[in-house]
This record gives sequence, C-alpha cells and structure tokens, in this order.
Amino acid sequence: MDGLGTASGPVLVCGEVRTCLLPTRDAVDERAAVELLRLRADERVRVSRHPNRHAVSPDVLTGVDCRLPTATGARSRAVGTVTARAALTEGRVLQATAYFSAPAAGPDRRQPWGYYLVRPGTLVPVGRLPGKALTEGFLTGHQPGELDIGSVADSLLARISRQHRILDHDTPLTTADTSLRWTAAAAADGEETSLRFTKAEDGLRIVELRLPPGTAPTAAAELCEDLALHDWLLTTVADKLDGLRVGSEDGRAVLKVLRPLVDHLLHLWMPQARVDGALHTAWRELERTPGYSRQWNALAQRIRDQLVLQNLGVPRQALPAR
Amino acid sequence: MLVFAASDKGGTGRSVTSANLAYHLALGGDDVCYLDFDFGSPTAAAVFDLPDVLTEAEERGLHSYLQGKTGKPFRVDVWARTEHPDLRSRPGGSGRLVLLPGDRTGGEFVTDEENLHRCVDLILGLKREFDVIIVDLSAGRSYAMDLALVATSPRGGLGRLKTRWLVYHRWTRQHVMAAAELVYGKQGIVQAGIAMGHRPDALNGSTRFVRAAVPDLESPLWSQVSPAQYAWMRKCDKELEQLAAGRGIGKTRVLASIPLEPVLQWQERLITDEDVHDRRIANNETWQAMGDLAQRVNDDKFWGEL
Repeated sequence: MDGLGTASGPVLVCGEVRTCLLPTRDAVDERAAVELLRLRADERVRVSRHPNRHAVSPDVLTGVDCRLPTATGARSRAVGTVTARAALTEGRVLQATAYFSAPAAGPDRRQPWGYYLVRPGTLVPVGRLPGKALTEGFLTGHQPGELDIGSVADSLLARISRQHRILDHDTPLTTADTSLRWTAAAAADGEETSLRFTKAEDGLRIVELRLPPGTAPTAAAELCEDLALHDWLLTTVADKLDGLRVGSEDGRAVLKVLRPLVDHLLHLWMPQARVDGALHTAWRELERTPGYSRQWNALAQRIRDQLVLQNLGVPRQALPAR
Repeated sequence: MLVFAASDKGGTGRSVTSANLAYHLALGGDDVCYLDFDFGSPTAAAVFDLPDVLTEAEERGLHSYLQGKTGKPFRVDVWARTEHPDLRSRPGGSGRLVLLPGDRTGGEFVTDEENLHRCVDLILGLKREFDVIIVDLSAGRSYAMDLALVATSPRGGLGRLKTRWLVYHRWTRQHVMAAAELVYGKQGIVQAGIAMGHRPDALNGSTRFVRAAVPDLESPLWSQVSPAQYAWMRKCDKELEQLAAGRGIGKTRVLASIPLEPVLQWQERLITDEDVHDRRIANNETWQAMGDLAQRVNDDKFWGEL
C-alpha cells in the first residue's frame, strides 16, 4: 500500500492498540518472546536489540465485511482485511495493534474476495468513504453491528495469553490495561504534523493524527504503539504512587509497591525508540505539554529517593527477604 | 486469586456476603473485581448501591459478553459510582473495586466451547488487573458453575490460577444438608470436578464453607428469650453441629461464620464502619466476621487439604 494521502494511497488509517503487562512473574527472555509471538508458521518474528529489546509478531490478517462506524449514523459498508500484530518490549510489556487503511472510494458493488485479498490491510468502501464521519464515529466508538476493531486486537491478546507453557499468570504487580484508539490522515498543504491526545474513561485513549503526506500506514501504527506504551507506563507508575502512604510506620507496605516498579518498569522508558524520523514532531508536542518525559523523570526520581529513605529508616529485619 | 461463591439454595446470603467480602478486601488494599454470574437474578448492583447499573448493563453485561454479543463486558467502578453515602469517598490505601454486572434478561444458558473460551479470556485479562476476582455463581449446580469447573480444570485454561471455592449456607438442617450435597453429593461439585479432570484432593483443599445468618445465642439479640427457648435453641445448635460434622462440613471446613445481622434481614447492603460505630445500626460482630472472612480468604494457612 502506498503512503497516506498519495494519489493511489489511503486517505485514512484507523487503529486500536491494547497495552498490558505480560502475565508472567518475570520478564521473558528473547527465545520465549519469539515463541509467544510466532503467530504464523510462514513468517518470522522480528527482533531488535537496540536501544532496547523489542520483538514484533508477523502481521495477521482478519477478513471483514461490515458497516463502518460513522458519527452521522450514515450506513457505509466496507470490505477487506484488518492487519493485526503483537509486540513485546523488554519481554515485559505486551501490545496488540489492529489497524486498517481506507481509500477515498471503492467500486460501487461488492467485489469477489480476490479483489480485496490483493490489498492486505485495506478496507475498501462500497462507494465513497464518509471520511469525516468515519473519523468521528471511529474515535467515539462503534455501535452494535458496526466494525469493532478493538475486538481484533483483543482476540490477538487472548490468543497469546492462552500460551500457558510460557505464561504463569502470576504477575508481580497489578496493572490496568489501556486501549489507544487512533486515526491518521494526511496533513493538508501548509498544515503541520499534529497530534490530539485525549484521555477518556476506563483506560481509553483517543489520538487524532495529521501526518506528513506519504507516511506509510505501518509507520503510523508504530508511532501509536510507542505512544500507547509510554502512556501506559506513565499511567501505571503514577497510579501506583497516587496516595502512597510514605508516612506509615511500616516501610514494608511502601516497599511492596515500589519494588516491583523498579524491578519491572522503570527501565522501559525510551520514547521514539522505533518511530519514523519524520514523525518525531508528533512526540515533541506531547513532550512540550503535558510533558511526558518530565513527569516520568520526576516519578522515577521520587521512587528512587523513597527507596533510599526506606533503606535508611527501616530496620534491616523488617525488609522483605528476597 | 480467583474466588467462586456458590450455594445450593437461594437466600443463603451468598451475594450479600460476597459483596461485603469484596468490600473488605478492597479496604485492605487489594484490587478487587466482582463478577455477577448469577444470571437468573443479578443482585450485586443493588448490594453495591448502583441503581442505574442494571439498566445500563442490558445487552452489554456478562451474559451478553459470554454469548458473544458484545466484545467487552460493561464494568463499573464501585467507588466512583455508588450512591452509598459511606462509600463515595474512597478510603486512602484502599484498592480498586470494580463490578462486572450481569444482564437482567439473561437467564441461564447452555455452555459450549465458545462460552468457555470467552470466560477464560475474560478472567485471564482481569487477572492482570486485579489481586482478587470474586465470581458470584447462581444457586445450585448451575451452568455458571459448570463453566467455572471446566474453566479451572487442568485443561480449561485457568488451571494454573490460585482458585478458591466458598460454599455459603444458612444454619438450618435443610441448608446444612443441601450444602453438603452440593459439594459431596453424587451430582456435587467434587464429582463433577473429577469428571472434568480436577484432582479431588486439590478441589477439596480449595473448598471451604461459610455459614451465614448464624444466630449467636450469647449475643444481646437473644438475651430476652425464655429459659425454655434458650435451652431448645442450644440443643438445635448442638445437633446442627453434629449433623454438619457427620456430613463433612464440620468446623474444620468452615472458613467463617457470619452472625445473624438485623440490618441484612431488612436490606441487602454493604455493612460499613459507619453503620457499626456512628449510626450503631449494625453489630460490631458482623463487621468483625466479614473482616475475618476477607483475611482468611487471603491466608494460605486456612486452605489446603486437611
């Protein structure tokens, strides 16, 4: 598929990322990561070791023929395939992404499957694509009977979670999953790359992107995975520190909360590790306001300071054995 | 940890005690999730004082989720939504308390592979998020119970999770016999579990009984009864204890005993600290018993094969 906003390319890319802690006591090693993410026999799991360990599953396609969510309630049918993939960062944080590209218009009649299968990851509308209504409808959430792309990501997560030989489901800390729902369209002439990030209820994040024309749909998906990963890290750590009773006499309660964060999460912060250089502008906006890295650094520093203080103040025998 | 709440009969205080258990666990700092699998009559929303939730859950509650009608079951943050005046401000240091309500129109359903997969996926997902998942099953050997037994069997997908079964019964002859039958009877949980691949010793070791609405004859509530009544009730109590022991549900298998609580006779609700100490409408013994139950559910000392 060609880039976003080009003559033969899509006008819109939409997707959803689920982010969660891998359900194991310890982070898994590279071999286990590859085994977990081997979702297809005919394609390899891609592993990169720098600047951190990151494994990505091969793409899995799901055939779809259904109504698109539209803000206006207009009935718009689309046919094609949704791309889904899973990624594991440092053997610890698991993500599943499902996304599709959509051209401005498609044939007025539904074509045989062969027509759609040569366009992997593309949903072709029957007739014109209601671009604006689709963006709004997609971000607000689907109604019954409409495309539910989050469930594609969910089923991928569920499929991985069922690999009981590797996963012990005994996580060192409880964490809430997040969903990041996103759309990307090409920025118009003279318009800058932009990102609108909203936090909704129940761990839902909504991101509306304007990206440079020609951006590959995969690059947009990678940007959103990166956003989702760091948003999840920040949310998880901030939630754990929220209302932490550092004044309590028993330092063990504080250690019980802080220690897993140090053991499992603090080293994972690495924004834009795998984001296309042309899309770094989007991240820069989040860094300016609200200032993601700034907040993360403050939280990380607070955790380390607390640990030092706990070590000074708590008698040795009160520390948990490890 | 996964906790299944079962009972042979309705009206055993299963839902109301389980909801209070969830509340106490959350107060203690655990992140707790409560699943209302009592599809015939979902009551958890009422106990947690969430009046609009039953309507909101229609078509997207747990029953719809298991049937594949919705991709994600509806969930409610109890601290944020409850209309219970004592619960609105979440106490410091407490854990999360989330309800996944059932749908009112659901009724029972036949379990198949699809239901099973959806149930397993749901619980594995919740396991990441919560320390304790309490599943309130409908009374008797229901489909919900079969689903729970299959899912937690070695080949069911939840076999590796730490699982505990609480069987609730009231302190009467009929209830004691029915509870024993539910667990040890021919059609009981243990036999059904073995057929599904459970190890009997493991299943026995993870099953405990909770006596609900037990009259404590030494409490002020009964201080005005006549000597004849008192003697008769003492005799009944002793006979019941013998009956329970004979049926394999004697004291060693009892995790907690919840005293008869006038407030719960009038209203299915959470008993709060304020009910006991400020308003003085509920008995301190009830509060203590619920707290003991919560502590023992979490304490490995109280579990395992006897």
